[in-house]
Amino acid sequence: MNSRALYLLPLLTLLIMAGFFGWSLMSGRDPASIGSVMVNRPAPPLNAPALRPGEPALTGDLLKTGKPVLLNFFASWCTPCLAEHPLMMRLREREGVTIIGIAWKNKPEEARAWLKKLGDPFAYAGTDFDGKLSLDWGLSGVPETYLIDANGVVRLHYHSPITERDLNETILPLLRAGK
Amino acid sequence: MLEFLLALLTTATVALLLVPLLKPRLTATARLDNDLAIYRDQLAELDRERAAGTLPEAEATAARVEIERRILVAAEQDAHETRREQSATLQRFLSPALCLAIPLIALGIYLEIGRPGLPSAPFVPHAAAPAAPNLADEIAAAKKNAAEHPDDPEALSALGEALTMEADGVVTQPAFEAFTRALRAQPGDARAIYYLGLHEAQAGDSPAALKRWRALEAQSPPEAPWLAMLRAEIARVSRESGMPVPSQDQVEAMGRLSPEERQKTIRTMVDGLAARMEANPADRDGWLRLANARKVLGDNPRASEAFAKADALKPVDGQTLVDWAEAEVRQIPPGMPPPASAVKVLERLEKAEPRNALALFYLGAASLASGDKKAAAQRWKTLLALLPADAPIRAMIEEKIKETE
Repeated sequence: MNSRALYLLPLLTLLIMAGFFGWSLMSGRDPASIGSVMVNRPAPPLNAPALRPGEPALTGDLLKTGKPVLLNFFASWCTPCLAEHPLMMRLREREGVTIIGIAWKNKPEEARAWLKKLGDPFAYAGTDFDGKLSLDWGLSGVPETYLIDANGVVRLHYHSPITERDLNETILPLLRAGK
Repeated sequence: MLEFLLALLTTATVALLLVPLLKPRLTATARLDNDLAIYRDQLAELDRERAAGTLPEAEATAARVEIERRILVAAEQDAHETRREQSATLQRFLSPALCLAIPLIALGIYLEIGRPGLPSAPFVPHAAAPAAPNLADEIAAAKKNAAEHPDDPEALSALGEALTMEADGVVTQPAFEAFTRALRAQPGDARAIYYLGLHEAQAGDSPAALKRWRALEAQSPPEAPWLAMLRAEIARVSRESGMPVPSQDQVEAMGRLSPEERQKTIRTMVDGLAARMEANPADRDGWLRLANARKVLGDNPRASEAFAKADALKPVDGQTLVDWAEAEVRQIPPGMPPPASAVKVLERLEKAEPRNALALFYLGAASLASGDKKAAAQRWKTLLALLPADAPIRAMIEEKIKETE
């Protein structure tokens, strides 16, 4: 009897796995979404040398100006950053949003040439060549974008290039509400 | 001459390959022949030693038996190996087969991928290198040209296009500025409009892009070379932004219809909208769309109905109120005063816009019909003051004012 019950074990395992897979498919869970521990927490420090020569270094004060800001990590070698760039330009040019750009693991001269070629949407630009700053921010790659509210609390964290939908349905309403 | 050289080369190659095959083959020394030669030597030595008396007779006999036994074993093994000889048959056919196959395969490959005058393709990859300088040259040339002709829309558009290509198809800020200037220099420039729309789409403003592109599509001649790409882009951006888009087939089908058929199709579509509205009467925007469609089709009574439905959900104002009033007054037979339903709408319009000519004119007629001559005269006099001095309608209104006195 005991040994016969053992034969049911593979079947049981199969049922459990099938149940899990079925639930994964049905629940609408997005396995690609890794969530963020940064959201709704005070922003980490933002100390970075300036990207553009002659400008003061970036400090955490930039995140507590009483106005919401966007923080965008980018690199000239990153193609999704290129795709996202026109949206950043629009936010700056048409919506008047303050955007802080950080060139991540990117030679400053290359990042500057990239911005010169495409247009520069950043009110403040810093460089994080060795990637140390991004550790505090929980960065997983570029491009990533954070929305920091007027009180210096992170409200949104995008792990991917922002899209038209993100912009029109989430970012802009939040920014307008924050002003 | 070239063909002759090629044929010569082929022949030489084939000949080289055939030499080892055609050479008279060394007579295969089978293992048995070797073995037998050795054993024969051994037997001869045995005989010599026995004759010399160095080997006792008994040992000599044992050795001879042993050697003979080995000879038998060798012969047996050789019997198994004889089947290898069929490979000789293969060798007999291999040479002519290769003679034919090599030139035939070479010819086949040549016919497939080769042609006289094909540039050589050396392994060292400097074929890829010239492409990049070409684009850089193009951009430099476009920049120079645009700097020399800062008001030439052609040069500006070319510059914008080069900058866009440089950025892998992203309309950058400098490109956007070039196209904006090009469009200012030549309103209606298709290339500038296309790229400005692309810029809007990339900047997350798909509705603006689609509006711009649809206008370009409408103003383009039907044989314009860019129409196919433009329509593909309209479809792509509509799809990506989740907007409904009439399929290309639908659009083309509409274009093929005669004007009467087109009218009929449009009416069918409007009736479809009306049916949807009956099912979903709380959709105010839907009622307004229906009202406008009815008004455009000249179906003013039903347009008024639809306006009234929308108005009941939330009072209409502005241009919508004007449209409604127009739909109402177009139902009035010539020379008749407006009915009560029209008067209600016109009064609202007059309240919103006291100097609206449509409201003043028809409410004047309504006042006159209800016997309020003073109000009628006042409205028409206000209207007269608003009209330009040479308006042809002045005489008619002056006539009407006289009637009230």
